[in-house]
Amino acid sequence: MHFARSWRQQSSNLRLVGSRCASCDAIFFPERIRCTGCGSSELKDYRLSGRGTISTVTRVFEAPRGFESQVPYFAALVELEEGPIICAMLTDVDQEDVSVGKKVSMVTRRILAHGDDGPIIYAYKFTPELEG
Amino acid sequence: MVDRIEIVGIGRTCAKERWTRGLVDLAVEAAGAALDDGGGVSPSAVIVSNALGGALGDQQNLGTFTASHIGLGKVETHSVSSDEASGGAALRLASALVGAGMHEAVLVVGAEKTSDALPDELESVRANGLDATREAGFGFGPAVASGLGMQRYVAQHGIDRSLFYHLASTAHLHGARNPFAFLPWELSFDQYIHSPVLADPLTVCDLAPNCDGGAAVLIRKGSERSSSSVNILGSASVSAPTGISEPIISLSLGAAAHCATLALRDAGLSIGDLSFLDLHDSSSFIAALSIEAVGLAKPGEALLLAKDGHFRFDGPAPLWTFGGLKARGNAPGADGLYQVVEATLQLRGDAGKSQIDGADRAFVQCLGSFGATAVAHVLG
Ligand SMILES: [Zn+2]
Repeated sequence: MHFARSWRQQSSNLRLVGSRCASCDAIFFPERIRCTGCGSSELKDYRLSGRGTISTVTRVFEAPRGFESQVPYFAALVELEEGPIICAMLTDVDQEDVSVGKKVSMVTRRILAHGDDGPIIYAYKFTPELEG
Repeated sequence: MVDRIEIVGIGRTCAKERWTRGLVDLAVEAAGAALDDGGGVSPSAVIVSNALGGALGDQQNLGTFTASHIGLGKVETHSVSSDEASGGAALRLASALVGAGMHEAVLVVGAEKTSDALPDELESVRANGLDATREAGFGFGPAVASGLGMQRYVAQHGIDRSLFYHLASTAHLHGARNPFAFLPWELSFDQYIHSPVLADPLTVCDLAPNCDGGAAVLIRKGSERSSSSVNILGSASVSAPTGISEPIISLSLGAAAHCATLALRDAGLSIGDLSFLDLHDSSSFIAALSIEAVGLAKPGEALLLAKDGHFRFDGPAPLWTFGGLKARGNAPGADGLYQVVEATLQLRGDAGKSQIDGADRAFVQCLGSFGATAVAHVLG
């Protein structure tokens, strides 16, 4: 991955910054430059809360290049409380904590290291919220 | 379809790993076979589809290189890339060139060379057919996406995951009769249920194997003279919003469903008029949703119908008659054209041990980017 690409994704990866349409209030993650709902190009940065629930989850035993060291890992669709659904790994989690409907929140973790001299990508993962 | 488009020549390579053949070689081998089969029809344009070559460091601008290597000079060339829908997309564009009167005959070629790449490299490049930044960039590839889908399918429909066996076993039953198949053997329940898990509950046996392949179709403006000819009766292509979450959450493929409706309407036919079909089966999950999208099964019933033999060669709706992606093999950029070549063999009555009795109407559909791209053709 190029340094410029990972730099461009910093605010979304680290702070979960998406977009909100000034015209129809639709919220997007990842960010959009044009509203797919109403066609407006007046979109403003919008920081999502990072709280959501697990919609679906799988345990991955064979990973694409760059993710091998994390196998086995949990990969989930997380529905954020603002609406968007996000693809993310779960972390700091036990098998028994992983179920559909479980409340999770965002943490920042190392996602990927590109070889020995490439950038290390930090970004969002999700972890179960403490009960009570 | 305004004008009849006739399929006058077909060619395909054996879908095994071909150590001595490169990407351009596979395209040329298939293209040459289609020209040899084409009764002297000479194309004035060549369109070549490929999904992964550029990203794997292989030849780019395949249209021009393929035309050059088969000795076609001064022809119009294009290269098409739409993930695993590339082959269907190329044929649809070729049909448009013929239909618009810009060319009398066009050669459409699909090729993919997967066996040069290391498995993890190949998986990474294939993952970029999904959202490269937000899915592939976070460890979500085709296997993970289908694993998530199977989780939800099983939970929502309240069925046992082992029922997915019947999709794979149908494909393998048919693939075992196809000498060009990558995995030409029948799949036992024991093999299926004990195969390694990749993304729970998806196993190796739920995923179509990557293979090397080339497939080619020579088309021309249809002449009314021959009643034995095979024609494109209708076609359509539809896209949907990208992202793996929509198909997984809704357990449906909107683009595939709409595309099927449009293609059948274009042909003036309904699903019941078809003698056999070929649908996208890059994974058990995508296969199930494909079946339900075109209306062969109600939501959640694809696996039960498969269990009852509904999609076998001797059933009411034969599917994947040469093994589908699951047994014939998945050569992403060529998938859509393998479907058309195999359907043409059926319609000509030249399908050998794979022949469906009385085959006269076929429907084929290929999908890219987890169903966000759909291309369908009706042949007869
Ligand atoms: Zn809007």
